[in-house]
Amino acid sequence: MARPVLRALLVALATLALGASLAACGSDGGGGATTTTATDGGSEATRGGTLRVLSEEDFGDLDPGITYSSAAFNLLSATVRPLYRYAPDDPTTLVPDLAADAPRISDDGKTLTVKIRDGVKFGPPVNREVTSRDVKYAIERGFNPSVLNPYASTYYRDVIGAEDADGGPIRGIRTPDDRTIVFRLRRPTAGLLAQATTLPLSAPVPREYARRFDAKPEGAVSDYGAWQVATGPYRFAADERGRVLGEGIVPGRRVVLVRNPNWDPATDSRPAYLDRIEWSVGNEPNVAGRQVLEGSGMTLGETPTAAIVRRAVERYEDQIFFSPGAGSRYAALNTAIPPFDDPNLRKAVAAQLDREQMRRVRGGEVVGDIATHFLYPGVAGFEEAGGHEGPGLDFLAAPAGDPEVARRYMVAAGYPDGRYDGDETIEVVGMAGDPADKNAQIFDEALRALGFRTRLRLVPPSVMYGRFCAAPRARVHACPNLGWIRDFADPQTVLDAAFNGAAISLEGNNSNWSQLDDPAINRAMARAALLVDEQERARAWAKIDRMITATAAAIPYLWDTQPVVSSADVRCVHQLWNQGHCDLAHSSVE
Amino acid sequence: MTRVVARRLVAGAGVLLALTAVTFLIFFALPSGDPAALRAGRGASPETVERIRASLGLDEPLPVQYLTFLQRLLLEGDLGHSWHDDLPVAELIAGRLPATLSLMAGAVVLWLAIAIPLGTLAAVRRGSWLDRAVGAGAVVALSAPVYWVGLLALYLLADDIGLVPLLPGAGAYVPLTEDPLRWLGALVLPWLVLAAAFGGVYARMLRASLVEVLDQPHVRAARAKGLSERRVVLRHGVRVAIMPLVTLLGVDLGALLGGAVLVETVFNIPGIGRLALDAIGRADLPVIQGTVLVAGAGVIVANLLVDVAHALLDPRIRAR
Repeated sequence: MARPVLRALLVALATLALGASLAACGSDGGGGATTTTATDGGSEATRGGTLRVLSEEDFGDLDPGITYSSAAFNLLSATVRPLYRYAPDDPTTLVPDLAADAPRISDDGKTLTVKIRDGVKFGPPVNREVTSRDVKYAIERGFNPSVLNPYASTYYRDVIGAEDADGGPIRGIRTPDDRTIVFRLRRPTAGLLAQATTLPLSAPVPREYARRFDAKPEGAVSDYGAWQVATGPYRFAADERGRVLGEGIVPGRRVVLVRNPNWDPATDSRPAYLDRIEWSVGNEPNVAGRQVLEGSGMTLGETPTAAIVRRAVERYEDQIFFSPGAGSRYAALNTAIPPFDDPNLRKAVAAQLDREQMRRVRGGEVVGDIATHFLYPGVAGFEEAGGHEGPGLDFLAAPAGDPEVARRYMVAAGYPDGRYDGDETIEVVGMAGDPADKNAQIFDEALRALGFRTRLRLVPPSVMYGRFCAAPRARVHACPNLGWIRDFADPQTVLDAAFNGAAISLEGNNSNWSQLDDPAINRAMARAALLVDEQERARAWAKIDRMITATAAAIPYLWDTQPVVSSADVRCVHQLWNQGHCDLAHSSVE
Repeated sequence: MTRVVARRLVAGAGVLLALTAVTFLIFFALPSGDPAALRAGRGASPETVERIRASLGLDEPLPVQYLTFLQRLLLEGDLGHSWHDDLPVAELIAGRLPATLSLMAGAVVLWLAIAIPLGTLAAVRRGSWLDRAVGAGAVVALSAPVYWVGLLALYLLADDIGLVPLLPGAGAYVPLTEDPLRWLGALVLPWLVLAAAFGGVYARMLRASLVEVLDQPHVRAARAKGLSERRVVLRHGVRVAIMPLVTLLGVDLGALLGGAVLVETVFNIPGIGRLALDAIGRADLPVIQGTVLVAGAGVIVANLLVDVAHALLDPRIRAR
């Protein structure tokens, strides 16, 4: 479930504070008559009809080799077929999609072999059967400067030859026949790579057709997205030449999916009940929420506002579903500069912070569970890392904060009266807009209660990341509005980029916001990254999670659940791997 | 007159040029997201971000970036490509402009159609209930935020979520060329919302101006000549009293554009305003520049038209 955390937090901004009356819903409550995670859409699903999806945010580039957002993944899961995917109701088990069977990983973990399914055809205008070479080209073009896939260099970097890849053939990807693709790796990371093939980059792209769109002068972006061909049950509406831009993709307005005439149900386990999907963007969130709840044949493609959630819970109980495992939120403390280079001061802040209040201002129990560590429910290793109870650290033991524990850590840090008396003014940068600003203010108050002099700046999300929290040179001390969503079920995708010292980037998009550079943790990550067995990986990363949490480099405060609302006549089959959005190839309209 | 228009057009071009410089400076002076980092996505390597930065030309010194933009604009008429989705800015704007023009033109016609009769009647019937109602209406219109009025209108009158389902609501807009009837139906409510925001104020202004004009000697002379009261008010009163409104209209077109942004947002009308708003959120300078240029050009042309209208309405200006 890869998406930029920026986008995730943008959509979550809309979740305003909810009344205590919502608490009874529970964070993992199921939906009613029209919401389901059953992959057959319920026994009475109707074939045909149009589902309308409403959202405020637009998509950006929908090229499967470029896109990296939750909403786009939802769309593309209906139009293209990566090697593997997750079933809507099981966010952790790989299901073969284009692949014919389970991935084969060599004993040394350095070779991944995947057999391709027979009978999968490209949609118009290509109209030929997919081969393993189309998967090879799809991945190779991810390294083309005109495509520059945002996660290729993370998950495919161990493929031999990937380090020099620029869109041409990669030595480590072989296609011995039309039905087989083999990845040879420099390190034993085939297990991780197999899971990464659930992302759309592994969806086949016909080279002879896409080459002309990908071959661009320096600085230009491939326009394959505007001409893309489908392999899934649906395709973007297109003109007679196959151009989808302006037909199926109208930027700032809508996306339209229609049935792919070349999709053969015998090659796919998905029912594809709908005839057409119309996704309109630019909708005012409160208006769109009411249109969905009171209208028919609609679902909301993003987080509903608090007013809509409240309305749904009070009047349309069967039309709202709370999807667990939708990400985690935490406050990062900059470990690279004083004063938070002192772990005792960080622990004092963690102990002082009222995480119960942090959750209350976002809506209470309905928006999720209070976090006690970083691996969240639905990610492998969550239970091994302590489950809901957490690792049992004293500074995170009291959800409402424990000033006495905080005072003890202040004393340990060399402040005998429990109050900070250093010279620094603590720069706190948070996100503008309700409820994120409230979280930032509560965090700021916790710092002040410990004697810190602070300067709180509330800025738009793009500024918070781009200019401050992801830019080490800005020397920000604390960022209370951060969060992370896994790319797929593997725990490495939650912890590695966010806490590995090697991920610290002074110039690029720094994702290690705390700038935690703990040699023991770095070494443990390097070892865990090479484990192949899933259980072993889960245990190893759970141990790393405990190590990270113990440093208090960041303070976890919420494991999100995602509310999803739909019209009464929509049988929404929720993608638990993707924030509970309606799975377009499983959902139906009565 | 032609010379005046030509002079104003040249001055307008200078203003637009200055506008591009100010927009450019504001974009880089105020904290905003790093366009290269935003485009690269989470976890992108420094090399990737740098490659994108170079591909967008952001690695050049600021003066060079600005001059490159100007060169393309002036020599090739090229507004560049969006940093967000790489589409040509001119194409994006051309796709959005009809919606905004439809919205603004209809709203202006509607509010003038409301304000002129109401203001005239209020002036002629000073102290009547109508006069008081126009005054109160103007105060309400001035104090009610457009966004709020838009939501209220939808919750009251929209055919999908309204208490009294009368008119097409949010998301109903289609281009005029696609379906003229649906286009008209979808714009009635947005027009009403914008017209309400401005109409009351214009009625109030016309009333005040007309009260003053009706006391002037030329009006008394017209009455003394035995002209009908209707002819006196319309030909000799309103025609003079309307001049301040025409001036105000030129100024208000800028404000109307601001109002249109909000109405476009509430009603999901894919216009220039929403394009600009989205571009700001994405730190998409080429689109910001393009929309600012179009908006600036619109205000300049509108003011020019106001001057021409002045000349047509006032023979003294024509004679100069």
